[in-house]
Amino acid sequence: MTRPGAETEVNGATAVSLEDVRKTYQLGEPVHALDGVDLEIPRGSYTAIMGPSGSGKSTLMNLVGCLDTPTEGAVVVDGSNVATLSDRERTTLRGSTVGFVFQTFNLMPRLTALENVALPQLFQGVGRDERRERARDLLERVGLGDRIDHVPNELSGGQRQRVALARALVNDPALVLADEPTGNLDTGTEAEVLDLFGEFHDAGTTLVVVTHERHVAERAERIIHLLDGKIERIEELGSAGEPDEPADGGREER
Amino acid sequence: MNLLESLRLSWRSIRGHKLRSALTTLGIVIGIAAVIAFVTLGASLQAGIVGDISPDDQRNIYGWAADPDTEGGPLAGAQPVVSGDDLESIEGLEAVDAAYGYAPIQSQAVSSGDEQVAQGDGVIATGPSYVREDTLREGRQFEPGEREAVLNPAAAGQFEENVSVGDEITITILGGQQATAEVVGITDSNEGLSPFEGFEASPRIYVPTDPYYVEQAGAAGLGDEGPGGTGGSEDVGDGAGEDAAEADDADQAAQAQADGGDARFIAVVVEAPSADEDDVDAAREAAVDYLESDDSDASEFLGEELAMTFQTSAELLQQLEDVLDLLQNFIVGIAAISLLVGSIGIANIMLVSVTERTREIGIMKAVGAQNRDVLGLFLAEAVILGVVGAVLGTALGLAAGYLGAWYIDLPLVYPLEYVALAIAVGVLVGILSGLYPAWRAARTDPIDALRYE
Repeated sequence: MTRPGAETEVNGATAVSLEDVRKTYQLGEPVHALDGVDLEIPRGSYTAIMGPSGSGKSTLMNLVGCLDTPTEGAVVVDGSNVATLSDRERTTLRGSTVGFVFQTFNLMPRLTALENVALPQLFQGVGRDERRERARDLLERVGLGDRIDHVPNELSGGQRQRVALARALVNDPALVLADEPTGNLDTGTEAEVLDLFGEFHDAGTTLVVVTHERHVAERAERIIHLLDGKIERIEELGSAGEPDEPADGGREER
Repeated sequence: MNLLESLRLSWRSIRGHKLRSALTTLGIVIGIAAVIAFVTLGASLQAGIVGDISPDDQRNIYGWAADPDTEGGPLAGAQPVVSGDDLESIEGLEAVDAAYGYAPIQSQAVSSGDEQVAQGDGVIATGPSYVREDTLREGRQFEPGEREAVLNPAAAGQFEENVSVGDEITITILGGQQATAEVVGITDSNEGLSPFEGFEASPRIYVPTDPYYVEQAGAAGLGDEGPGGTGGSEDVGDGAGEDAAEADDADQAAQAQADGGDARFIAVVVEAPSADEDDVDAAREAAVDYLESDDSDASEFLGEELAMTFQTSAELLQQLEDVLDLLQNFIVGIAAISLLVGSIGIANIMLVSVTERTREIGIMKAVGAQNRDVLGLFLAEAVILGVVGAVLGTALGLAAGYLGAWYIDLPLVYPLEYVALAIAVGVLVGILSGLYPAWRAARTDPIDALRYE
């Protein structure tokens, strides 16, 4: 795969592209967490990344999320090569183009749902009133219009994850990165949250979900299988939400 | 992120740990409160003392003869050496407006009409202008050589029927002598008129040295003997002559009056023409020069053992203020230590807080917080703790200073520049103690922080 614009499918643009990316950690002896990965994530796509522990999922996510820089290769997020950016520029890029959803929600415990959703815009220098209005809109869209003044402790797991999703979307990011977004949720809530992901995807949001659960990955349009720091195979699922043939040790509870 | 947003967010964190934050600021509160309380008290005390020196008093120079090594306030170790003749000569000097003696009369009681009240001190023989005209509520100054007295309101009010101008009072002197005086004036204040008296409020009667002190000095044999017989302090009236004095009252009085110029005073007051520093210095120099010259009666006693001291009220009070300043510096020193301990407390709790909130820092960085945003947040938190401590400490200190000033009955002076300084110190303490923890927070790696449990 080449630089942006080559193989675009939706919206005629690429959200993220990785080109022969390597990431090596020095833990006594060099460990190749990523060992030559080429990947293109088009705008508006819904991608799942699967793989066993130690396959490089987290490292890939950190790179795509502009949290880390590759040892070699180019990671281009929304047109900017992460490797060439300063720490500060990388933070700015991350704040404006990437939205995060974590397994453990990672909401600020003392801030209300509204304030949590508005937090990223605080660091973007958006005015208070505008921030709150935008946050309220998003909370209504994720179905928490009546919970805006509750702190995370007063919300259920599913509600917290919906707040986190609203927060991820607040800056209109080029992509939303979800790391095991349903790992801490029960099956019913999991379905609700995944439905919400589907809704936002339909509305044009670019989604990347890192998971090791087959049925979660199957909601995506394609599944990237990682193994030992390399892309093992890419599984195209056609339209999002339609299950393909089960593989890779996916759970079949649903 | 602007400052207001940082402060708002930091305030939330502080409120999240109310007890911890309160205990953290306590060190600052105590330090600042101690400084403010003592500075307020000190300033009030100073204002109280300085306020007692009227502009007219500023041209008075108070002198006494004492061993140069004697330490202490006015009149410490004073001996009666300056004679009435000396005072007349000093008054004749060009640089001097007036000169008169000052001597407490050892009295026992004062009576007005049929009523007698005990009064052991506070009868002061001095020159007419010692009681300044502007301090008279009614009447006039006494005249030298006349049997007249000026009372302060406390002295006038100690009788059932207030003594007023025109009444006659009888002063019973230690030893039983009685002297009458016509009240010619009432002062407007119960406080002492000079550092010789002290500034506390008490009943006081002012009489002319002639005849009252001259009589007593004559009776005690002071006129001729000089300092030899007396203990040196205010015990002018004691000594062997008392019995004789009682017996030959009239005789002695006559003799004393005749020899009035020989009466020796333990203290003198020299008035310069104005309160101007040069005039005061000139008057002082002229008086000292004269007294040390062979022309004066005093010179026979002055030498290695006895030297004249001449000081203005302001100079006399300076000693007191110096002690006060020393005390204040000492307390400020202790408070500084308290502030240091307080800032270590803030630094410590901020470090704990940074570790505790590693994950929050990770979240903030993931959603786009720059290093300086994180730095600002934690710094703001430390500064808020410092400033809140300073504000509370200032309020507490002012309240304590107010209570103290009220209790000792002083005019209250709020040293406003210290209030501003206290807030500045609060900010400074916050910044200094928050800098390292905030820097640690700022350089937290978001990947590690997000993984942190």
